[in-house]
Amino acid sequence: MDSILLIALLLVPLATAAASFFVRRRAAMEAANVAGFGVILLIAVALAAKVLAAGTVSLANGFFYADSLSALVILLTASVALVCSTYSIGYLRDDQQSGALGDDESGIEQIAQLRMFYTLTPLLVFSMLFIAVANNLGVMWAAMEATTLASIFLVTFYGKVTSLEAAWKYAIIGGVGLSMALFGTVVAYYAGHRLPGSDSLSGLNWSVLAQHAAQLDKTSMRLAFVLILLGYGTKAGLAPMHTWKPDAYSEAPVPTAAILSTALLNCALYCLIRFYILTSRCLGSEYPGHLLLLFGLLSMGISVPFVLAQRNLRRLLAYSTIDHAGIMTIALGLGGAMGSLGLMLHMAFHTIAKSLLFLSAGNVYQHFRTDLFAKMKGSVMRAMPLTGVVFFLGLLAVIGMPPFSLFQSEFLILRAAFNGGHVLTGVLFVLFSTGIFTGVLLHLGGMILGPGGDTAVAARRPWRDGSLLALAVALVVIGFWVPAPLLELIQGAARVVNGQ
Amino acid sequence: MLMKPFLDMQLGDRIVTLMAALVLVLQIAMVAQRWIVIHIRIFAAQSFFLAMIAATIAWFNHAPHIYIAAVLTVVVKVILVPILFERLVERMEIHEEIEPIVNVPISLVIAGGLTLVGYVVAESFYRPDEPGLGHNALAVAISLFLIGFFNMINRRKALTQVLALLSLENGLFLAAISLTYGMPLIVELGVFFDVLVAAMVLGILIYRIRETFESMDVSRLRRLRG
Repeated sequence: MDSILLIALLLVPLATAAASFFVRRRAAMEAANVAGFGVILLIAVALAAKVLAAGTVSLANGFFYADSLSALVILLTASVALVCSTYSIGYLRDDQQSGALGDDESGIEQIAQLRMFYTLTPLLVFSMLFIAVANNLGVMWAAMEATTLASIFLVTFYGKVTSLEAAWKYAIIGGVGLSMALFGTVVAYYAGHRLPGSDSLSGLNWSVLAQHAAQLDKTSMRLAFVLILLGYGTKAGLAPMHTWKPDAYSEAPVPTAAILSTALLNCALYCLIRFYILTSRCLGSEYPGHLLLLFGLLSMGISVPFVLAQRNLRRLLAYSTIDHAGIMTIALGLGGAMGSLGLMLHMAFHTIAKSLLFLSAGNVYQHFRTDLFAKMKGSVMRAMPLTGVVFFLGLLAVIGMPPFSLFQSEFLILRAAFNGGHVLTGVLFVLFSTGIFTGVLLHLGGMILGPGGDTAVAARRPWRDGSLLALAVALVVIGFWVPAPLLELIQGAARVVNGQ
Repeated sequence: MLMKPFLDMQLGDRIVTLMAALVLVLQIAMVAQRWIVIHIRIFAAQSFFLAMIAATIAWFNHAPHIYIAAVLTVVVKVILVPILFERLVERMEIHEEIEPIVNVPISLVIAGGLTLVGYVVAESFYRPDEPGLGHNALAVAISLFLIGFFNMINRRKALTQVLALLSLENGLFLAAISLTYGMPLIVELGVFFDVLVAAMVLGILIYRIRETFESMDVSRLRRLRG
């Protein structure tokens, strides 16, 4: 039963991609994507239940391996993918009508572009799921590289000059980052090369290395962790390797940007966490912890001025993602029971809130035809009441207003900082959060609630608004009540991070 | 490994060291090179010697799975990628010179310095009690990585940036085989598949950038800021 689950988890996205590639009609592609991602979510839930019951699931001599941490990442990825696929239907139909996909008479080019989107998205999801179930650290790396390859042509989707520039930065910076991550993986393998059985296929298996972490070569692990932090940190968009992020997020289609800034961020952090566990078991948690705190604080700090002075909606959201990547890195660096729980809660909450924000930003963009605050005539609330309300909810959540869920996780992380004696980290955390709070509220608050102007009656957007509504309900509900199994899964993941 | 005749190991070590030196020389030649086509050929030659190093290590350490890595290197990096890139150069009709940001003599001095750094870092991995091939190879690998990195920063043209990225990956590959005598096979397969696809993807991007900007000059990509 376990084996069927894991295999299906990887086969369904591939089948979805193949189906979307071979069908001719738009409706068929849309149906294939929604159905595929729906099935993937069901499998993810089943896998989570299995992991809750059995602890870990492994297959093919430990080639595939899933614990609570993987199950949580898989569950979040699958949920975001499903919501984005329903949203994409409305979003891309709108693009097609408005001529954003080019306006050739025959429509052949448009269909080709849609096919590319509906094929590459399942492939992107496939590689993210592969990251989470791969036990072998080298295979995990290869899957991470595959996410870059699958998403490059999503970034160039609109074929504009600026999207080419964004894709180029994304490819080159990502390529250098990933080569550092591979170097780190090689060095980590070297650190364990004298362990019994290390020359076989399982020599790079995380579960094996984690068991013998204390016997790993200490000098090599030091070097490996730095390389891994730089490498996967580039994919997570930690400063100063974050420069590709605002470009890629603002040029890609909105559903892709939502996936990149939530699910892919989680996956990059997931890779970091796996190596953090190895390193802290080998060298103690102080060495990796300090490095993580440094990069986390730097990311939070760098995003503050860019958020305050931002003029572009989607770039603002990208800097907010960099800020949250920093928060999660800090939580990982603080470690301990409280820091780990804060990290996993924050990962779950941020995924919901940020995908809600990006998808709402898509509605805003398609209504006003611009991302620049200055050029938006009229307020979002008047033009699109539903989008305005959910956007505002998401905005309050993402800046950490109580009673929303992200307040709870950030508060937990802050408590972990002060309890652990990291006073400076705690103080800077509060300071930077205040800066982000002001900037986001200033720009987005003005955009959503600002003076009216002409009140255009917006068109009906059932697919897009339905997806937004689902996310908003999840966001509000989870602020007050986390379902018991989900909480158990999050706590289980935190225990994995904490090394128990 | 300890049971093998000492002479045998020494011979292997010498062959590996010789070829690693050649690989390093070619990397430095890339720093000084001004013509794109020759640049591509130097990369192909470097990859070829790399494959030979892999084959030598496979022979002396009786690790047959490294032969597969050697063959893959020849197929992907000596044949496929150079052909792909030379076609790209032909189709785009670019034969002009590479314009480095730092001039050639200073670049060479920097490359020399980075080689020294490579040797210093590799020293910390050296264990005299553990006989094996490739002590020098690791130093060369780290130097390749650093010089490749420098080359990426030092280039304006898109194609030469990609070549620098690929030569940086050559350093990685050398580190992998000299540190670990080859990672588990499936990893190598994944890595090579990724390198091939990445080269193709970047090739397509370069082609589109050429079409859009009438030039491959990356320093013109300056619209997205802040």
